[in-house]
Amino acid sequence: MKNRLRVLRAERDWSQADLAERLSVSRQTVNAIENERYDPSLPLAFAIARVFALRIEDVFTPDAEPPPPSGEPPE
Amino acid sequence: MGTDLRRPLADSGALWFVVSAVGSVGGGWLSRQAFRDSHELTAAGFGTLLAGLLSILVAGFAAWKLARAGVYSWLLPLAAVNLLLLQPGRAGDVRTWRLEWGVMGLAWTIAAVLVFARLLRRSDELERRLHLEGAFYGFATGLVASVVYALFETRLPELRGQWVAVALLLSWWAGYLVTARRYRWRA
Repeated sequence: MKNRLRVLRAERDWSQADLAERLSVSRQTVNAIENERYDPSLPLAFAIARVFALRIEDVFTPDAEPPPPSGEPPE
Repeated sequence: MGTDLRRPLADSGALWFVVSAVGSVGGGWLSRQAFRDSHELTAAGFGTLLAGLLSILVAGFAAWKLARAGVYSWLLPLAAVNLLLLQPGRAGDVRTWRLEWGVMGLAWTIAAVLVFARLLRRSDELERRLHLEGAFYGFATGLVASVVYALFETRLPELRGQWVAVALLLSWWAGYLVTARRYRWRA
């Protein structure tokens, strides 16, 4: 899963430790998420989005976007 | 732009691990020496016992520092070292007080398990995952090792339960380190 954690953090001039404190996790965990080594659980992903006052999809995006639905609706 | 996670020796927990290991092993040895020559505690033995208890106190402080610093994975090899060298529950060279030593060893072991469980509950989700995967590797290694031991059991020394516990703890720790490397550090 891709994420914009580093950019969002830089915009606010927060260190990894600052963000970790706001999320009540360790700095290593923030580092692992930021480097896309670890995908956070849904509650933590929501907490991250809330900290940045964004929607979850504004922070995280799947590696491969799902294909758009076909034009023909089922009958 | 990976953040450098290499920390100074004291911050990494290695220093407190060494202090605690030396303190507990030295303290245990001194305490046993106090009763080496006599069933009763002599004046000379009292000083040795006091030094031993002080050493154990230092070891406990160092273990507390490890837990406070959030690097409590060091408690796994620490427990292994203590099990291997002190063998709680075994009287060893102590002719008397066998029951007291045994009960004290058991009490320490149960307390250590409870403290570790509490620390795990308070840790974040990645840390819990690291320990879950590490513990899996530990038990998987134990499983394979037990079959290998059975294969060569006629040629190997008799297996002690505490050796098994030491092997499980060390392979858990090794699994934790491997998993932590995979999640936290870029290759």
